[in-house]
Amino acid sequence: MIYNTGIIFSWISFALLIFLFFKNKDIYTEILVRVNLFIQIFLFCLLEIGLFLNDFSVSYIANYSAKSTPPLYKFASLWGSLDGSILLWNLCLSLFMYIYLKLYKDNSSDLDIKIFSLIMIFFVGYTVFSSSPFAGCIELAVVGCSNSTILPFQELVISNIGRGPNPLLQNHPLMAIHPPMLYVGYVGMTMPFVAATSRLYSKSDDTNAWVEVAEKTTYIPWLFLTIGITLGAAWSYEVLGWGGYWAWDPVENVSFIPWLLATAFLHSAKIQKSQNTLLNWNYILVGLMFLSTIFGTFVTRSGVLISVHAFSNGNIGTYLLFGMLFFGFIFIFIGSKNIEYFSKSKKIENWFGKSGFFVYNNIFLFSSALVVFIGTIFPLIYETLYSRQITIGRSYYDILVGPLLLILLGLMIFSVKLPIKNINIEKWVEENNILINSSLILSIFILFYLNNSYILIFTVIISVLLIVITFNNFYKNFRNKKTNTSYWTGQIAHLGIGIFALGIIFNVSQSYSTEKEINSFEEFSFNNQTFFVYDSIEESLPEKNIIKLPISNGSNTKFTSLNIFKNSSQQAISSPAVFRTFLNDIYITVKFIDENSYKLIVRNNYGIFIMWIGLFISSISFLPRLRKYEK
Amino acid sequence: MKNKYLTIFLLVLLMILPSIFPDNESRYEEWSKSLLCPVCQGETIYDSPSEYADDMGAILLEQINNGMTDDEIYSFWVSRYGERIITNPINQNLEILIIPLVLISIFILLFVRKLYAKK
Repeated sequence: MIYNTGIIFSWISFALLIFLFFKNKDIYTEILVRVNLFIQIFLFCLLEIGLFLNDFSVSYIANYSAKSTPPLYKFASLWGSLDGSILLWNLCLSLFMYIYLKLYKDNSSDLDIKIFSLIMIFFVGYTVFSSSPFAGCIELAVVGCSNSTILPFQELVISNIGRGPNPLLQNHPLMAIHPPMLYVGYVGMTMPFVAATSRLYSKSDDTNAWVEVAEKTTYIPWLFLTIGITLGAAWSYEVLGWGGYWAWDPVENVSFIPWLLATAFLHSAKIQKSQNTLLNWNYILVGLMFLSTIFGTFVTRSGVLISVHAFSNGNIGTYLLFGMLFFGFIFIFIGSKNIEYFSKSKKIENWFGKSGFFVYNNIFLFSSALVVFIGTIFPLIYETLYSRQITIGRSYYDILVGPLLLILLGLMIFSVKLPIKNINIEKWVEENNILINSSLILSIFILFYLNNSYILIFTVIISVLLIVITFNNFYKNFRNKKTNTSYWTGQIAHLGIGIFALGIIFNVSQSYSTEKEINSFEEFSFNNQTFFVYDSIEESLPEKNIIKLPISNGSNTKFTSLNIFKNSSQQAISSPAVFRTFLNDIYITVKFIDENSYKLIVRNNYGIFIMWIGLFISSISFLPRLRKYEK
Repeated sequence: MKNKYLTIFLLVLLMILPSIFPDNESRYEEWSKSLLCPVCQGETIYDSPSEYADDMGAILLEQINNGMTDDEIYSFWVSRYGERIITNPINQNLEILIIPLVLISIFILLFVRKLYAKK
């Protein structure tokens, strides 16, 4: 039932999009976009219903859900693997198409909706022709389903119990939020692409209207991407017991690349609007933003790279590669039609004025994206060219991305309210002398506390200076009604990043860890504190066994736990006990348990809370923008 | 401008701090952060809580306590698990660092040249 309806409605949706692409009459557009959105919502609900009814005749449900899966994770199973996540992708796309139609539609032409529907045809096409989340099961595996059909009305076999979602994905409710946030961010990057290509294709004048729409449509996905990445970091640190928040894992990288590009674009779009420069560069950025999201999906979903996030392979790799080439071609074609317009882009005269600093910002953000991209595909290149398997780890990024981000941090000190003309650095230093000196004194205090190295010193000085200067800007301009919203958005975001950078520096320079072997009712000391370990408590849920170990530091008792999932061959997942103070976390995870003796990893992680504060401040930088809509 | 001298003094003070308080990451920590745990998904043995990583860590600690050189440790692990196990392949393959640096430089040069206004 679910299987037949799902497949047939996927076909209907596909046919409808084809029609939307080829039709000539405007009146259909409104209706078709709505019907398309409605069908995608229907398909989403249909698969959810299937998940909750445990309809194991559907291959996807048999493989990624189980009878014992708790309701919240059943709900989240929809995007727990490849085929289902494409369904969510399609839902987001149709939602964005609707939003685009309502708010940003180019009234003079229908081309934008046509390009939009072309992109949607591409993704819906995958579920119709290649691999559908509604595919029926025709051959059983020991658990779940091993072979399926994407044709309707076939004879199906039904497995008894499902395989259940990946243990990592059913450990904490954040799982239900983190991936969809990222999807919204990813899919949303389609909007600026559509806005730029369609408006430039049918352009008759020299206005920068396209960049204005592209900027507006970038902001929302950028915000979701920021929140999604932050939640991912929080999830891996606070819940998964990995002890870290960012591992330069390929999948993390490919979410970071569009973020870096979008951040660059949000800045350079401003300079195009006010100085009429960087026209061609902005077009390139918009294109790369969109292509990098497809590239990201390609890397994570094609199984070409090993990562904590990678799941399921199949033929999606070639399909996405083809898509990248196809949309890349459209992008280049429309770009080449506008060479004359792009050549009107103004050159930069004041390299130490507003436009100069925005150019630096773009240079270093783009370079960071480039380095992350190269680091991500290096193992692939080595494998194909030399049949050598290499791993690009943290040190590569520390050496290459670290300094670039440090320069960006430095640029932020001068940011936001720069004069068009060159600034006089000497005069600037004189004017802000008190602030600079107090920042340096503050830095010395902080550095007394830290293990020292030069890169550390620079980072501390720059971030402290950034924080101090930004606070001073707040103080100076708070009552000034003339300052516009983007000024405040910028200042808040930069303040958050300054605090975040300080937190990171604390974290990488100060943290250390040790291992403790200990029995029940014994105590151990760490970082001048005494911790008491109680006896473990076993809890059995339908889908997993949890072994909880209460640990007390005298005033608080927290649990670290091992989650052992039934129906899963994967290793147990440990959750940490975190004793948090402003400066440091004592972070305890249990490694293994043998009767009444335990092996614990005890970490002293510095700066995490400061980092979260910084990220939180950056994420609420959109608040001043809301003021605009109140009027 | 008295303040200027204060600024310079403070900067100098900051620059000599590392010699007063040297960084002291242990060799074990450094190595365990650059060895991949082969049965985990992309985690180093420093990060991974698995037993396998634990055993590897014990061997590594013994090697360091026995005073093996970095080269010896390197060839020990690579001969058993292949190059893939080293997450820090830069020392042996300098091109990994050079290629991105060259590409960035080309990008920056082109970018600035395109935008540079001749007066």
